[in-house]
Amino acid sequence: MLNAVKQSWLTFRSIFTGMGVTIRHFFGPTVTLQYPDEKMELPKGARARLYVNIDDCIGCNLCARACPVNCIDIETVASTQDVDLGKTSTGNPKRFWLTRFDIDMAKCMYCDLCVHPCPTNCIYMVSEYEYSEYDRSNLVYHFSNLEPEMVAEVKDKAEKEAEQKKREREEMMRKKAEEKAQKELEAKKKAEEESNDKEKGEE
Amino acid sequence: MLEVISKETGNKEMVINMGPQHPSTHGVLRLELVLDGEIITKVRPNIGYLHRCFEKYAEQMDDYAKVIPYTDRMDYVSAINQEHGYVIALERMLELEVPERVEYIRVIMAEMQRIASHLLGIGAFGLDLGAFSPFLYLFTEREKILDIFERVTGARLLYNYFAVAGLMRDVHPEFKTDTAEFVKTFRPKIKELNDLLSYNKIFIKRTANIGVLPEKVALNYAASGPVLRGSGVEWDLRKNDPYSIYDKFDFEIPVGTGEVGTLGDCWDRYMVRVKEMEQSLRIIEQALDGMPDEGDVMEAIPKRIRPKEGEIYVRTETPRGELGYYIISDKSASPFRVKARAPSFVHLSMLPAISKGSLIADMVAIVGSIDIVLGEVDR
Repeated sequence: MLNAVKQSWLTFRSIFTGMGVTIRHFFGPTVTLQYPDEKMELPKGARARLYVNIDDCIGCNLCARACPVNCIDIETVASTQDVDLGKTSTGNPKRFWLTRFDIDMAKCMYCDLCVHPCPTNCIYMVSEYEYSEYDRSNLVYHFSNLEPEMVAEVKDKAEKEAEQKKREREEMMRKKAEEKAQKELEAKKKAEEESNDKEKGEE
Repeated sequence: MLEVISKETGNKEMVINMGPQHPSTHGVLRLELVLDGEIITKVRPNIGYLHRCFEKYAEQMDDYAKVIPYTDRMDYVSAINQEHGYVIALERMLELEVPERVEYIRVIMAEMQRIASHLLGIGAFGLDLGAFSPFLYLFTEREKILDIFERVTGARLLYNYFAVAGLMRDVHPEFKTDTAEFVKTFRPKIKELNDLLSYNKIFIKRTANIGVLPEKVALNYAASGPVLRGSGVEWDLRKNDPYSIYDKFDFEIPVGTGEVGTLGDCWDRYMVRVKEMEQSLRIIEQALDGMPDEGDVMEAIPKRIRPKEGEIYVRTETPRGELGYYIISDKSASPFRVKARAPSFVHLSMLPAISKGSLIADMVAIVGSIDIVLGEVDR
């Protein structure tokens, strides 16, 4: 009997201590935010979206190679001799046209691994997080600023130059081969003459 | 399937499925319960709903560093601790020296993550048993930890913060004061939790003497972490097999006492977690005092990670127990094999042993008290 009373007393006490805690919390400050109306400021360096400063990109492909999920797709075309693409803000010379720089944010896992290898610090995470889409294909971000016509032109030019270079190289190779053949012929003649001389001497 | 079940039950027993979409299975876990009335006679856990081929992925990556974000996704509630084990394994393979400042930051982050993980585990455990307010109050505290993490790492859940012999970025200048402030405000919250939940009579009735795990069974099933300590075994890898700089700190290993019921019941396992949070606070305080202010956290990171041919097994203490990484290297850029010994998987396997003969309503308490994360079970 005494035990039962004691037990019920303990039960009531534990319940009312708990309720005291809830009441204290009831009069405490609110901790939630009414999201679309109020927004929490994300700290500096928050990883919410990948961004590329395309003006600084030199097309080295290091970020694409560092990505564990292959969400970065880069296509570069070597610039021709008549154009100078200038330098990045960090002073690295640019040697490639960036005909394609796509990042698929649907695939991205926000691991930050692509950010560190970049030699010009042009790929980084920004704290913009409200970019949901109805269609998944809209999450592919195109960072290349070249127009399609420009891309075609650039590719055409690069191809032509490559062809010309190839032709030049072939020409050079042919010349070299001719020279070599000539030299060999001369050497043969010399050797023959020498052997003839020797034979004569022996006689 | 149906035939097997009807044969087994002999029309007297009933088989019901708990999960895979049951709110208190903490993820996608299906439990096949064979019931005799309301008494459980058999439990068969069915796993694999969250299998993501972590181990195979690790072999396919062409870089050891690319595996680190995947380790985060094993136990997504305590991502920092998962990374810790992996980077320690690689550091031992490469025989690298880790700068002191890096070690201190790592320990602080790991202990904060331990608290965050326990807060979630305890909160969800209370929620399973019908206590809603503690869950919300604990989440408020967890948010504070995540806010600090967000400022440090840039992410809130999956950090990818630890690198081999370094960190991905340095902490912000106010890190020390922020953390110290959190430690100060969090101490009284543990007392509040005890008032609200731990010694609540209803909670005790639901957890004491339920799901008793005797010491012998726990050892035979290779249990670890709070589950093993709840059964009264003083075993903590931070003390028994110190890694990182844990041997520098002074802390205790809380063990189950059987205070309100039998030794090794659900309440003991729960209470070990509560006491562990206090010990983590102690470690954080000591680490904050000892942490050097100067030092580059990225200077020691190797450019190329190519371990020598060989193998290694490294175990660390995560909030859920002993997490082991077994890595084989064949001198190439990616690991030949990575095997993770996940504590949740081990603990789930002993569910049939401890839940036999309990009521179906207590099943929720038992699953909640061993605190499994299905991401780690399935990997």
